[in-house]
Amino acid sequence: MKNLMVSDLVTDYGHVRALDGVSFIANAGEITTVIGANGAGKSTLLRTISGLEKAKSGTISWGDLEITNLAPEAIVRLGVAHVPEGHAVIPTFSVLENIEMGALFRRRKNSTDVKVAISEVLDLFPRLAERIKQSAGSLSGGERQMLAISRALVSRPELLLLDEPSLGLAPLVVEQIIQSINQLCRSTGLTVLLVEQNANTALAVADHGVLLALGKVVSDQPAAKMRADSALRSAYLGY
Amino acid sequence: MNTFISTLITGTANGAIFALAALGLVIVWRGAGVVNFAQMGQAMFTTYIASNLINSGESYWLAFIVALISGSLLGMIIDLLIMRPLAHKKSSSSTKTLAATIPVIASLGILAILQALAGIFWAGEERGFPTPVNSFYFKNGAGTLPFSAFNLFVIGVVLIVLLLLTYFFTQTGVGLGMRAAALNPEVARLSGIKVSRMRTLSWAISGAAGSLAGLLITPSTNLSPNTLDLILIIAFTAAVVGGLDSPLGAVIGGLILGIGIALVTTYGSPENVFLAILFLLFAVQLIKPNGILGGKQVRRG
Repeated sequence: MKNLMVSDLVTDYGHVRALDGVSFIANAGEITTVIGANGAGKSTLLRTISGLEKAKSGTISWGDLEITNLAPEAIVRLGVAHVPEGHAVIPTFSVLENIEMGALFRRRKNSTDVKVAISEVLDLFPRLAERIKQSAGSLSGGERQMLAISRALVSRPELLLLDEPSLGLAPLVVEQIIQSINQLCRSTGLTVLLVEQNANTALAVADHGVLLALGKVVSDQPAAKMRADSALRSAYLGY
Repeated sequence: MNTFISTLITGTANGAIFALAALGLVIVWRGAGVVNFAQMGQAMFTTYIASNLINSGESYWLAFIVALISGSLLGMIIDLLIMRPLAHKKSSSSTKTLAATIPVIASLGILAILQALAGIFWAGEERGFPTPVNSFYFKNGAGTLPFSAFNLFVIGVVLIVLLLLTYFFTQTGVGLGMRAAALNPEVARLSGIKVSRMRTLSWAISGAAGSLAGLLITPSTNLSPNTLDLILIIAFTAAVVGGLDSPLGAVIGGLILGIGIALVTTYGSPENVFLAILFLLFAVQLIKPNGILGGKQVRRG
């Protein structure tokens, strides 16, 4: 079991300092949620961990390995899968092709396990199994989000980075997706780092909460405490 | 009637070659985001290599294979030595539109270099290029059939290549990876696909396709450093008519141009071929600006 440890991470996004010395630990087998307002640096945090953005300084450790500024295609091979914001699928690909894409790099060595992994995600999201041959562009928003998560899961990650899975989805669908992730984490020991603007939803399932504001960590505590902290909520989350 | 049929068959055979060249352009455009003006320069260069081998007594088939391999190697070298470093520079460039034109201008430079090198190595002399099978019309008793063995060979080879490419892109993991890298590099990288390697592979496949087009067209155009310029214009038109990002569109565009040019040459006059190409390009841009099978995004310029 590996922890994710982020220390003093600084990342610039264009000319803006998006992350200004962020430190926290995401414990193995737990759901850690990163919440905060728009522009707090949540997405940049995930993008820096998965290698899409370059860190200016600071370190990211995954278990015993330092993964700071490795290429994304190297980081996913170490068991860290990132589902970026905005239901990231390829619309002209079929549902199956989108899922297979996530396991391409494992296909030559583990072709049988790839088949097992694909059938597992289809069990997790049966709606995708029904639409396996359709193009991803024909799916609803919720199904597309499920597909994006499936693409990440077939790489057999130990750490899943989830960026705003609730974006633009109906509350019922959000609940369904979050519960699937929760169930997966509890049953397989998957470590999850969940970025959400919808703090209520995220804190309801998370073990731990990290609150970001303007690129800095302003609170880092068990999710239950954060839920109960009304001063914090009204100051940063607006409810 | 015989004239008409022979025009159609010659047009289809030439159209198949244009389709191949257009497909090479489409593969690099989709895979690496570059309109490669050097494509037929590369083909000219590798056809010279094949021609030299044949002249020194080697078999046509050995020369054929060597040309295809050197075509894909040349494509890879261009990507690794020129396009990849440019892509790294690109991100620091001031404006996006300016940055997008840099590799295109580089490809024009590569074309100039290849033509100059060919001039130095092979003295710019125009030479013929052989066909592996007879290019005279089949004899049928006293009369002739309206096509040659070489016509059939060309159509057959291009058909096989198209089927192989279709299989590769739709049925294999690497093909899926290449398409993913072209359509959404970010998601592809997050899926563990080595996007820059996929780009190099696009250049290699396109280089081989261009080389094949060069080998098949030079028996009718002869070979000199500049003879394939016209083929580039035709292939580019075919690719744009087909939609630039659609492989099937490139094939259809190639066939339309091949048959169209053959009809204009037979029933009009050969001098009007350029005018006809221009007219076709103009008409397609006017009626369907994104080409017959092009995507929805608007192209400007």
